[in-house]
Amino acid sequence: MEKQILENHLNINRRKFLSRVSLGLGSVALGSLLIPDLFSGGPEDDAAEFMRGVPHFAPKAKRVIYLFQNGAPSQLESFDYKPKLREMVGQDLPESVRMGQRLTGMSSGQAHFPMAGSLFDFKQYGKSRAWISDLFPHTAKIVDDICIVKTLFTEAINHDPALTFFQTGAQQGNLPSFGSWMSYGLGSENKNLPAFCVLLSRGRGNGQGVYSKLWSNGFLDSIYQGVQFSSGDNPVLYLNDHKGIDKQSRRKMLDKLEEMNDLSYKEFGDPEISTKIQQYEMAYRMQTAVPDITDVSKEPDDTVKMYGPECLLPGTYAANCLLARKLSENGVRFVQLYHQGWDQHSNLPKEMPWQAMDVDQASAALVTDLKQRGLLDETLVIWGGEFGRTNYSQGKLEKDNYGRDHHPRCFSIWMAGGGIKPGIVYGETDEFGYNIVRDPVHVHDFHATCLHLLGLNHEKLTYKFQGRRYRLTDSAGKVVNGIMT
Amino acid sequence: MKFVIKRIAGNLLFAADVFILFLVLFESKMVIPAWLQSVGRMHPMFLHFPIVILLLAMGMEFFRFRTDLKEQSGFLDFTGALLLIGALSAAVTVIMGLLLSNESSYSGKTVQWHKWMGLGIVCIASIVYWSRNAKWYKAPTAKILTVLAVLCIIVTGHLGAGITHGEDFISNPLLARRASEKPPPDKAIIYADIIQPIFKSRCMTCHNPDKAKGRLLLDNPEDILKGGKSGKLFIAGHADSSLIIKRISLPEEEEKHMPLTGKPQLTKDEAELIFRWIQSGADFKKKWIDLQENDSLKLIAARFLAPPAEEVYDFAAAPEKTVAALSNNYRAVYPLAKESPALAVDFYNKSQYTAKALQDLLKVKKQIVQLNLNKMPVSDADLKVVSQFENLRVLNLDFSDITGAGLGQLSSLQYLKSLSLSGTRVDRKSIPPLLKIKSLQKIVLWNTGLTGAEIAQLQKENKNLRFLAGYQNDEPMHLSPPILVSQYSVFSDTTHVLLKHQIPGVEIRYTLDGSDPDSTHSAVFNKELVLNKTTVFKARAYKPTWLGSDSIVHFFYKSAYKPDSIIFISLPEDAYKGEGDSVLSDHITGSLGYNNGEWLGFRKDMKLLLQFIKPVSLRSVGLHLLKVIGSDIYPPTQVEIWGGMDKNHLSLLKTIRPVPAVKGEHPELFLEECKFPATRVRCIKLVALNVKKAPKWGNSPKKPGWIFMDEILLN
Repeated sequence: MEKQILENHLNINRRKFLSRVSLGLGSVALGSLLIPDLFSGGPEDDAAEFMRGVPHFAPKAKRVIYLFQNGAPSQLESFDYKPKLREMVGQDLPESVRMGQRLTGMSSGQAHFPMAGSLFDFKQYGKSRAWISDLFPHTAKIVDDICIVKTLFTEAINHDPALTFFQTGAQQGNLPSFGSWMSYGLGSENKNLPAFCVLLSRGRGNGQGVYSKLWSNGFLDSIYQGVQFSSGDNPVLYLNDHKGIDKQSRRKMLDKLEEMNDLSYKEFGDPEISTKIQQYEMAYRMQTAVPDITDVSKEPDDTVKMYGPECLLPGTYAANCLLARKLSENGVRFVQLYHQGWDQHSNLPKEMPWQAMDVDQASAALVTDLKQRGLLDETLVIWGGEFGRTNYSQGKLEKDNYGRDHHPRCFSIWMAGGGIKPGIVYGETDEFGYNIVRDPVHVHDFHATCLHLLGLNHEKLTYKFQGRRYRLTDSAGKVVNGIMT
Repeated sequence: MKFVIKRIAGNLLFAADVFILFLVLFESKMVIPAWLQSVGRMHPMFLHFPIVILLLAMGMEFFRFRTDLKEQSGFLDFTGALLLIGALSAAVTVIMGLLLSNESSYSGKTVQWHKWMGLGIVCIASIVYWSRNAKWYKAPTAKILTVLAVLCIIVTGHLGAGITHGEDFISNPLLARRASEKPPPDKAIIYADIIQPIFKSRCMTCHNPDKAKGRLLLDNPEDILKGGKSGKLFIAGHADSSLIIKRISLPEEEEKHMPLTGKPQLTKDEAELIFRWIQSGADFKKKWIDLQENDSLKLIAARFLAPPAEEVYDFAAAPEKTVAALSNNYRAVYPLAKESPALAVDFYNKSQYTAKALQDLLKVKKQIVQLNLNKMPVSDADLKVVSQFENLRVLNLDFSDITGAGLGQLSSLQYLKSLSLSGTRVDRKSIPPLLKIKSLQKIVLWNTGLTGAEIAQLQKENKNLRFLAGYQNDEPMHLSPPILVSQYSVFSDTTHVLLKHQIPGVEIRYTLDGSDPDSTHSAVFNKELVLNKTTVFKARAYKPTWLGSDSIVHFFYKSAYKPDSIIFISLPEDAYKGEGDSVLSDHITGSLGYNNGEWLGFRKDMKLLLQFIKPVSLRSVGLHLLKVIGSDIYPPTQVEIWGGMDKNHLSLLKTIRPVPAVKGEHPELFLEECKFPATRVRCIKLVALNVKKAPKWGNSPKKPGWIFMDEILLN
């Protein structure tokens, strides 16, 4: 009987069926051993996938210094040379170029949009023959070290949403800022200093405000928020112990305080308490670390000449640049400077040179300073604003006076340092300086690229909040390979 | 064959088939552990068995229904056994093949066909084995199935060989193609080592001497320059108008797009390289190292030639516990990336640095790739420890205590790429041992004992190394002016002049007589400068290697007496009332921004009465006034000072006629002083007549002008 069964393989009886079932299931089980979590249900937690504090792949840059020009500097008077505007000065912006771009409330009332050429001349510099305006002579000298990206674009048209977009990845607020994401992803290098510092300065031009939402930690742990340094003589207030308290007493006090906070934490489980404990400890360590850094009186004369004498006056942009270099070389991951006053809706020819003079020498000096200390290769330096300015004049166009309104469709920034291809100009805008012709870079792309240079995959650096995995680039962002080495 | 074995083998076949089905369905989710990968790799070895056995078995099965074989049980049994063994070995081979294909390096159409054909073999062999004794299984079926199986075997085998050995493995020697290996960048010739290999791999299946599609040959410079049926390939230097660029840039659907759709396509980098090579002149001899530093062709070519960007380290990772134990608040030790064995070390807070802190790192001396000792008091002796970190790539010794003497110890670091020595005491003599390090690419020498000329010379002599000299201050720079700290410009008795300058070591020279200070004749400012009369203070800052700053000018006014009360006979305008009469004697002067509450503005004649409780001996009355012709603020036309012991017995002490404003004058603050012989008074009346009709060039012509005053000086 068995023999017959064997011969007629397609015949089946109960015994054969049961043995076949067990064989079949056994094979499936064998295969499932090769598939991890086949039956565990649901995708794995992304947080487990990336080790916090370690980059996903070898980074090009370890630290960032972001020189944010608040108010939006005009690209047409800085890095985007458009001689056509001078030729067509006074003529209305053609609708074919404008293509229905929305206007702000300030120029929507205008009947005409007379195009205004730049009052300042441009010249070519460096091996890339980049055009740079006469307002930025020092930046022109370092053009072989920087990469000018002319084709940034955004959707936001007013300052608050645009700033928030650049700093937190979305136009609505309350999300973690760029520095916080970086802090969260990479941890802090030097445990004696905060990982994210913010320095403010303002120029004489028409300014817009900055607010702490731009360096907030959003829903991430509050240990990641930006620490704003004060603009006066004491960047960090109350750094020194009071008279009568010595280090040992301070230490004993902190230890006792930690004990008490710990009890509180055990009772309430509020993570803010442990953050607070950590911040007290960091403040204690900062007491020894910070005075050395903020003491600029020992800087050699050559350095002072390079940044300009203003760099020893606390609260100026130049002083902030010098402080930024010192913080960065001491392991602060993300130093952000804000320089206010670039919002030239009117009086541009008078105000823009003031603003440019405030920042030009110091920004170029910062890059040179990092380079001559061998630090430029591991530091990413970024210079730019939140959007660009229109090629038509806001308000009356006069021969030597005009203003420019907000323009989100194209603007210029420059980047230097870790992983950035030096000495190139990336992207091309049309001859009116209004639209992008080649290689657009959206704010999300900018964020993705920066994170990539820091060794972080922007799609994997996530945090689950309210049921959704948030990331700095939201659901977009492509790394721009053209500007990286 | 023994029955039991047959049964087991049959069951095994069934199990294997199900397993194969499962593997095929869930291929994408599988993660194959390392040991199974080895099993998968035995596929090329094992496949020989089913090929031979199945070919034989199929051959026998093909003839199974021949009249002389049909009844022979021996033949039938043996065929069955062969089929069973063949199918089983085929199943095993397919399983191995599926495991192997999971390795990511296998992709593409050929592999797909090979896989499905191979699965077809197992499928057909299993069907034949199981159903060969069924009622419906007759000669035609047997013949068709066996032939199909043999065809599958042949095709699978051929495709498989193609995957392993390359498509043209057999035909290769006939076409005599050279093997291509990519040289390192500094030895590469752009055409021969980059462009030619691209042509070879992407274009020469068609554009070779045998096929010569479009009469175009791409294997040698002459033929490339000659072009083909449609004309010359390119115009050197004008890539945009070149035929080859046009063809490779066409969308893939276009007929004339090159390479042909279906053939391996150019990658973005390869297309870019061809573009740039043509744009830069299509030189057949140019070397990579001859290109400019920032030439995009050079950068992309480097990527094409050189090993992958991310350096792969060949040493094992250090135990996690060791790394964690070495990291503390002042010495950070961390891996470069998630799964990298390489470690980076940073030191902070130089007061915490000890030689031991460096020696502790010897525990991970193999893994340290980057070491940052910036501003640490590292001595030459410490360099001995550093030299033991054999895999060091980046070393930063800025502002440390090393002298040049110890640098020779670093020559044992054979992978060192970047060395930073800024701010140290090294000099020209310290450099030669470093030049022996072959892997070194960059040395940073800012603020060292080497001069700019020495560094330039070193750069010239060593083209493969980059020497960074840093900022060289070539243009002398102006100092910023001194900053006045004194708050009060008006004083009653004496005043201390308080000045500061943010740059240390600055010398300030000043004058008190209104002349411009200079660096040799003027007095040197010190903190003890005290003024006791109205003075014009000018100061400038000087420092060696700087140009002198601009002057600052400041007026210090003396007002010895302060009235006990001021009565307004005529009132200031509402908008410019300031804080009332106290403004005039608060010793604070206003500024050009006349809205700040320090100024009183009158649009009619100004008449004030000042009273003293005790009589004072008065010799001068000064009015500190504002002139802004753009806002019609003019000097008064006439000032009268009346004085006396009480307000009803006043006599005219002095009358002056200030200089009127002229067109185009800049805004300024000025003093109108009325001097007279000393008189004892208890009461003073001040009368200032405003401009009744603003001039034609004024802001509001023919309207009354303004008088703005912020301080009255009584001496």
